[in-house]
Amino acid sequence: MITAERKEFDEIRQMTDPHENVLVAGCNTCVAVCLTGGEKEAEQLAQQLRIARNHDGIKGKVEAVTVLRQCENEYLDSISEQVERADIVLSTACSIGPQGLVFRYPAKRVAPAMNTNMMGYVKEHHVWTEYCAACGSCLIAATGGICPVARCAKTLLNGPCGGSQNGRCEISPEVPCAWQEIYDRLAALGDLDTLKRIVGPKKWNLSNSGGPRTMKKEGFEP
Amino acid sequence: MANQTATLRSFSRPVPGDELRRPPCEVACPIRTDAQRYIQLVAEGRSAEALAVVRKTNPLPQVIGRICPHPCEDACRRGQVDEPIAICNLKRVASDGAKAAELGFKPPKAAFTTGKKVVIIGSGPSGLAAAHDLALMGVQPVVFEKQPEAGGFLRSGILSYRLPKNILDEDIDYIRGMGVEIKTGVRVGEDVDFSDLAQEFDAVLIAVGLSESRSLPVPGAGLPQVLLAVPYLEAVNAGRPVPELGKEIIVIGGGNVAIDVARSARRLTGGKVTMVCLEADYEMPAHSWEIEDATAEGIGIICSQGPNAIIGEDRVEGLQVKKCESVFDGQGRFAPKFCETELSLISGDTVIIAIGQMSNLAFLPDTGPDINERGILIFDREQCTTTRRGVFAGGEVVTGPGAAVNALASGKRAAIAIAHYLGVAVDFPEEPVAIGEVPAAVAEKVKPAPRRKMPARPAGGRLQDFNEVELGLTEVEARCEASRCLLCTAGARYSQLKCIACLTCVRVCPYGAPWADKDGLGGISPERCQACGICFTQCPAKAIDLTLLSENDIEREIGVALANESGDVEFGCWYSQSRVEPEAGLVLLPCTGRLSAGLILNAFEQGAGKVYVAVCSESEDGHFIHGHRQARAAVAEAQKAIEEAGLGPESIEVRLEPELKCKKI
Repeated sequence: MITAERKEFDEIRQMTDPHENVLVAGCNTCVAVCLTGGEKEAEQLAQQLRIARNHDGIKGKVEAVTVLRQCENEYLDSISEQVERADIVLSTACSIGPQGLVFRYPAKRVAPAMNTNMMGYVKEHHVWTEYCAACGSCLIAATGGICPVARCAKTLLNGPCGGSQNGRCEISPEVPCAWQEIYDRLAALGDLDTLKRIVGPKKWNLSNSGGPRTMKKEGFEP
Repeated sequence: MANQTATLRSFSRPVPGDELRRPPCEVACPIRTDAQRYIQLVAEGRSAEALAVVRKTNPLPQVIGRICPHPCEDACRRGQVDEPIAICNLKRVASDGAKAAELGFKPPKAAFTTGKKVVIIGSGPSGLAAAHDLALMGVQPVVFEKQPEAGGFLRSGILSYRLPKNILDEDIDYIRGMGVEIKTGVRVGEDVDFSDLAQEFDAVLIAVGLSESRSLPVPGAGLPQVLLAVPYLEAVNAGRPVPELGKEIIVIGGGNVAIDVARSARRLTGGKVTMVCLEADYEMPAHSWEIEDATAEGIGIICSQGPNAIIGEDRVEGLQVKKCESVFDGQGRFAPKFCETELSLISGDTVIIAIGQMSNLAFLPDTGPDINERGILIFDREQCTTTRRGVFAGGEVVTGPGAAVNALASGKRAAIAIAHYLGVAVDFPEEPVAIGEVPAAVAEKVKPAPRRKMPARPAGGRLQDFNEVELGLTEVEARCEASRCLLCTAGARYSQLKCIACLTCVRVCPYGAPWADKDGLGGISPERCQACGICFTQCPAKAIDLTLLSENDIEREIGVALANESGDVEFGCWYSQSRVEPEAGLVLLPCTGRLSAGLILNAFEQGAGKVYVAVCSESEDGHFIHGHRQARAAVAEAQKAIEEAGLGPESIEVRLEPELKCKKI
């Protein structure tokens, strides 16, 4: 899922303090599952803002509302009354949420409460690990099912590099070397021959490097 | 908290309607007392509110809190962990505590009146229960009692060492206070005519109980020293002398009435008292604790012997008995088989026959209601009706002998039937379904805690008088006992609609209660849930709340606590029975592990100056697994939030629970 972490409270204050009525908009999908921006967190952030603003004598109301997904028109439309009441909407969704709000409510000021960081896998409770960089042309069939684009610090398509030390990446002893993992896995499967084939140049234009992407699913259109 | 991701379980989903299922104690109770709720209130030291919960279904709370054979305790799921909760004793604590606080004894009045009048014949438990419930439904009951005082067998049959008369009086006075008229010393069929009553009133309830003793067709039964249980108990209870009593008393019978007869005879005479019954010791119909009490008071019990003849010319000299080989036939029916040649003699100078009771229906006219060939009132068990329109029946006259609480249930059902007949929009309540047993893997994780024993007077001292034997649990002991409750069905309440299938609850629950399948459909097993609240604090979508003390309830309690002068709040733990900041307003939680950071922030939003959180030591789990860790995590999160918000970090303080007043539950 998409993971996002809440910004420092001071930064959130700077964005919202100039405005009287604040709506904290939660999103109950990815950021809820990663325990940072769902209904509970949105309400807690609103509580915290109320306490702080009350302490500093800032006028206005802070309320919270959460929709199932902020990346869809219909869900955003369902909170129009709350949005109208607010001078600024503070979204706890990934960055798609506040931008969706901007698209749907062009006259409204919108601010992000979160820093969106990655698409992660939940290896254990409370821990997310980046597994996908949304490059647009998946090549993990050639790399033992392990993505070097997301998981190799250098995005090497034919690794490893000389910085692989005892299975770890040179950027941090915490980070496993993706190419070591690829090698170990292919060895275990008896598929090391796979590595004899050089992966050719990648179509980076399919990734974000090719400019903003749009996806369209062909089929029934009402 | 589990640092691992969870395994999706493949066990079958709990039956639909989990949220409608009830604690087994409540389902086992004939009058469906919400025992768990009042136990929780006792645990919090809120006796008056506990009594109010008891009173919702129980018209005789003080009486039943003393004499009930408590089928609830047999069903109690704590019994699957160690020993059942002392539910009956805690009911007594509720009323004793409320009485000491002078609360909970003001009789209510019906919100409206129908103008209908019902006559109830008999003021025993079933008659009183019907009167109580009818009064609440706006129907005016008038109760007729042949004895000089109300209470039926509760007064004439149960001795004051088990049920003090003033306690019975208080419960009856409460019912009188509701506007129920009780006419004592009036015999229907002699002083007033049944048909006249049926004409004058809109409905009649026959609740005359079983007021006559059965005798025995054995030689010698006519001797003057042969007494019957009911008139004997009536005399003892009324304080009248029983001159026939000698020094060596034989009581025939093995039921609870026989035990009462024996124990009272032992008190009155100080002599030798022996019970003789057909049943083997394991078959005796008396409750095990009654048998223990009797034995402790020096009463002998001779089992598997049937009376053959009472020996003596003009005075009783003994009882000849024959060996009873079996009491019941293959179908479980009463059909005793004797060995006629194996005779023996029990010496004695008095025999009291306590082998069962029957009703006296001689007051009924020929015009009905009808009686069958065995002399039993013809009765519709479902509708509580007799063969005569407008005449209903309830209690032991139709159910046969049993516990007082069963008579209450029967009377309450009759009250509904009558009210319905009179046009009140009521119906019989739906039968609740209980949750299942505690899975062994969960039982292992429940912190052991012994059942608190009811203190009683020593056998030697109590034989000197008829004062109450059981002394009542102390408040601290009662709160500890109540805190043993497993909070069946009072725990996590899950909303499938709000659930985002994130699996957080499945991962954090120490008891494995939440479950999810591959489609993300899930639920929380009420059998496994211990109501610790960890899932509630962690659910990111607010799809989980708690039945007992929901988030809204706790927020309201915070508001109440803040009415305190100090302006501070303590989140306390009801398992510890102690305070960490006695000056602060108290929000008592079953474990502070159910605190979310949001609830702590809510206290500040409501104006708290300072928040104290009672937490147990890090070295050991308290009542719940991980409770103290969750509490500390919530405090840390809230502390960070309020510091960021500009409040001082000293605004929140975690304090270890100080030395406990009683052993930790």
